[in-house]
Amino acid sequence: MTPLVSLVVISYEMKRELPRTLLSLSPRYQNCAADECEIIVVDNNSREPPDAAALAGLNANVQILACSKPSPSPVRAINKGLAHAHARLIGVWIDGARMASPGLVNACVAASRLHARPVIATLNYQLGPNVQRISCEQGYDQATEDALLASIEWPKDGYRLFEISTPEIKGGPTGAMLESNALFLPRALWDELGGYDEQFSEPGGSVVNPDTLVRAVGLPGAQLIRILGEGTFHQVHGGLSTSSQKSAINVVMEGARTYLRLRGKPLMQVRQRGWTYNSRTGEVVR
Amino acid sequence: MVNYICGVLGLDAATFSASDRFDVYGLDSVEVVIMAGVMEEEFQVVVDPNQFFDAPSVDEFVATFTSGTAVS
Repeated sequence: MTPLVSLVVISYEMKRELPRTLLSLSPRYQNCAADECEIIVVDNNSREPPDAAALAGLNANVQILACSKPSPSPVRAINKGLAHAHARLIGVWIDGARMASPGLVNACVAASRLHARPVIATLNYQLGPNVQRISCEQGYDQATEDALLASIEWPKDGYRLFEISTPEIKGGPTGAMLESNALFLPRALWDELGGYDEQFSEPGGSVVNPDTLVRAVGLPGAQLIRILGEGTFHQVHGGLSTSSQKSAINVVMEGARTYLRLRGKPLMQVRQRGWTYNSRTGEVVR
Repeated sequence: MVNYICGVLGLDAATFSASDRFDVYGLDSVEVVIMAGVMEEEFQVVVDPNQFFDAPSVDEFVATFTSGTAVS
C-alpha cells in the first residue's frame, strides 16, 4: 500500500535527540495507521549512525538511509530522502532534532486536501524558556531540557510541549516566517522545485530552508497554508543557529550574503499570511 | 537603506521617515540581521548588526556607522 505521507528526517550526530523525534512521528503518537505514514531517516555521516534495531518498538514504517555523498550541508541528504519517498505528500525535517506535536501529520494531510497546490508550513518552537540562542547563554542545556520533558511526562500528552517551549515567530502564527522545519508539499511541487538547492553547501545548509520556503510559496498557483495548533519543537544539540546569539547572528548574516550571491536579490521572510488551518477546531481561514 | 526596508515591508518610500525606529514599521530582528548581511555583500563594508539595535533608525544608524565603523 502506498503511504499517504512520507516524512524525510535528516540526522547528524543526534543520538540523544533523534529517538524522541521518531517517537513523536510514530503512528501511535500521531494517531495514524502504520501503513499510512512512511518515515525516511537519512543520516548525513554521523560518527555513530542511527540504529534501526533500536526503532523496532515504534511499530512504524521507518527506513534508515546513509547519504552516499555526505557533506557539511544536509541538502544532498534531503534530496536523497525526497527521491526515496513514495507518498503523494512529503514533509521534510531538515533538522532531526525537532519533535512534533501529536496531530501534526494528520493536520498536514488534511490541509493538503484544501488546495490543489498547497505549501504547508508548520510552525517552529524551541524547547525551553526562551529561544535557545538566548537560553543556552543563560545555562539551558541538555540536562535542563531532559528535566523539562520529564516535568510534563512527555510523551504522555504531546500537546504539553507547548507549555515548555517558545515560538520562533515573534509576530504570532501568521507573522513573518523565515522558515518551516517541517515543510509539507505534494510530490509534484517538490519535483517542480527540484528539491533543495545543492548550491547551499555550507555547514547546516546556511539559509537553504528559508530559500526553499520562499521558492515554494513563489511557485505558480501555490497556496501557503499555515498549520495552527501543532508545531515542531527543537531539542538543543549544539546546532549552529541555536547555541548562542553570536553564532545565530553569524548564520543569518552569512546566509544573507550567500543568498544575495546565489539569487541576486535579498533574502526576505515570508510575510504573506496565507491560509490557516487549525487542527484543533478544523477551522480554515482563507 | 530606505528603499531596502520599504521593499522588505512593502511600504511606499514616501511614507517612510528615516528618524522613526525600525520596529515602528515592523522590521524585526531577523530582518535587521539580514539587512546587515546584504549591506556587507553589496557594499563590501563591515557591518556589526548590533549597531542596528543600538541605533535603531536609519538616521541613527547612518550617524553611528559613518562616525566610527571600519570600512574595508
